[in-house]
Amino acid sequence: MKSQSALENVERGIVDLVTSEELKARVKKALDAKADPIDVIGSIRKALDEVGERYEKKEYFLMELIVAGNLATEIMNILRPYFKADMQAPRGRVVIGTVQGDLHDIGKNLVAAMLTSLGYTVTDLGVDVKPEKFVEVVRNEKPQVVAMSGLLTVGLPYMKTTIDALKTAGLKDKVKTIVGGRPLTKEYAKEIGADAYGTDATEAVRIIGGWVESKEAKKR
Amino acid sequence: MNRRDRALTALDHREPDAVPIWELGIDPPHAESITGKQWIGTSKETNLDRRGIERHNADIMVECHNKLDFVMIRAISSDPDGWRPQRFPDGTFTDEWGRIRMYDPRTKSTIPFRTLIKTPEDFEAMAFPDAHAPGRMYGLEYVVKRVKGDMAVAAEVRAPFATAWEMLGVTGFCQILHEKPQFIRKVIEKMTDFNIELIKMVVDAGADMIVSNGDIAEKNGPMVSPKYFDQIFLPNMKREVEAAHKKGVKFIKHTDGDLNLILEGLANTVDGLHSLDPSASMDIEYVKEKYGKRLVLMGNVSVDKLCRGTKDEIVKDTKRCIRVAAPGGGYFLNSSNTWYADAKLENCMAMVETGRKFGKYPIKL
Repeated sequence: MKSQSALENVERGIVDLVTSEELKARVKKALDAKADPIDVIGSIRKALDEVGERYEKKEYFLMELIVAGNLATEIMNILRPYFKADMQAPRGRVVIGTVQGDLHDIGKNLVAAMLTSLGYTVTDLGVDVKPEKFVEVVRNEKPQVVAMSGLLTVGLPYMKTTIDALKTAGLKDKVKTIVGGRPLTKEYAKEIGADAYGTDATEAVRIIGGWVESKEAKKR
Repeated sequence: MNRRDRALTALDHREPDAVPIWELGIDPPHAESITGKQWIGTSKETNLDRRGIERHNADIMVECHNKLDFVMIRAISSDPDGWRPQRFPDGTFTDEWGRIRMYDPRTKSTIPFRTLIKTPEDFEAMAFPDAHAPGRMYGLEYVVKRVKGDMAVAAEVRAPFATAWEMLGVTGFCQILHEKPQFIRKVIEKMTDFNIELIKMVVDAGADMIVSNGDIAEKNGPMVSPKYFDQIFLPNMKREVEAAHKKGVKFIKHTDGDLNLILEGLANTVDGLHSLDPSASMDIEYVKEKYGKRLVLMGNVSVDKLCRGTKDEIVKDTKRCIRVAAPGGGYFLNSSNTWYADAKLENCMAMVETGRKFGKYPIKL
């Protein structure tokens, strides 16, 4: 019970955006109370879900999303030593990048940061990423998910080219693909063969989470 | 009524002879298509010096605006004489605010990409730009001379919110605002002081209007909470507006995004809003009805449709904007952002042609 209440304090700490020092103290308290580190990660996930919901309800804004993501990342770093074995089997692997022809990265960075803070291993390929680069990294790293971002319409055909390149390389069925960015629509995502479209960062993270959890469930 | 008069009449909330048409930005590839002249993106493409490049590109933009018969052209202040950016091996380079910019060959423009200023200490140590540095008005004065009172000149003054956001990086800015709001307040005040000097100078150099560029919102709402917006950013914006009014010009705020949560505060502060993005829940009919007597409205023709829609959709969208926002004056026809490089030029031209056809006062739509 003591550890349960300490875990709730960690969760509330992220939702309420307490200082980094305060949150670290709460995490220490939870671990001292014999909370399982895996449950601390559970608290982070619940907290980020709530932050995302508040963002969608316009109670929180981009600033709060980013600050909560930063807090969660700090805690994940503290917990890392507890998961030496699990680190080889992280929550999920995601390869992310802004597609060829586009240099914008705010949305992509936000999704990458949120996924990292949730315990995913994220390979961020940066901006203006060519389809062949996506293919190469997917082949080498075997992620569950490939996330493509783009702000400009000119980048959109490259999302299709990338998905086609994954198909040609025989990798499309081995990963889920999600696309996001201002000019996109759900219909367009479907048209180019993407598995999903994230209207914003929180939705993208939720979709990816759903995929990974279901894959984990299947393994069990 | 010449084009400048048309713009000034609309800015004054009166009906001119026709709805004024303009764009806050036309990406160079479109300007090249319209003029048939080649934009100079980097010094590697030419033997001209920096000022020569500024003049060359300004000439193309003025010619482009003349061909489109636009009522107003944006002009920006220049880097001072002798300014030399720090250059990096990957081709990126710094600007005066410590932002690292990357050249995008596709749009022939640069975008802030990274930053040198990551902490409050970095900010304290940086050489803060001097608004009065020699050469600051070079580009703007050149444009004013070129348009000779035929076209209005909108001087772009970058909003402190956007400069600070880009200067500290998105993550850094948010984290510091959360932990040390007083520091961000100080940054914003200092940048506002800079802008106030700039506003005085650009008006003395011939600008007819100030446009405060830089987004404060995204499609879900303001980037920071209305509380921070009201406490830190809006009071400083008000100082800029007062500076513009003292010099006898209007102050228009450009931003993307959903402004509904902060609309009242903005309406009590600025003279107008650009560009009222319909894809971010900005309903120009509502804004016109509620704030139209106070605010000049610019835009609302969907930039997404310019990029991906059909000509018919643009015609319909343009007619809608004219019908609901133009009666009574105080409306400028333009896209809900700028003419991106990836907008279809035929759609952009459809907006202009529809504006000419249906924008004559009295509006009969």
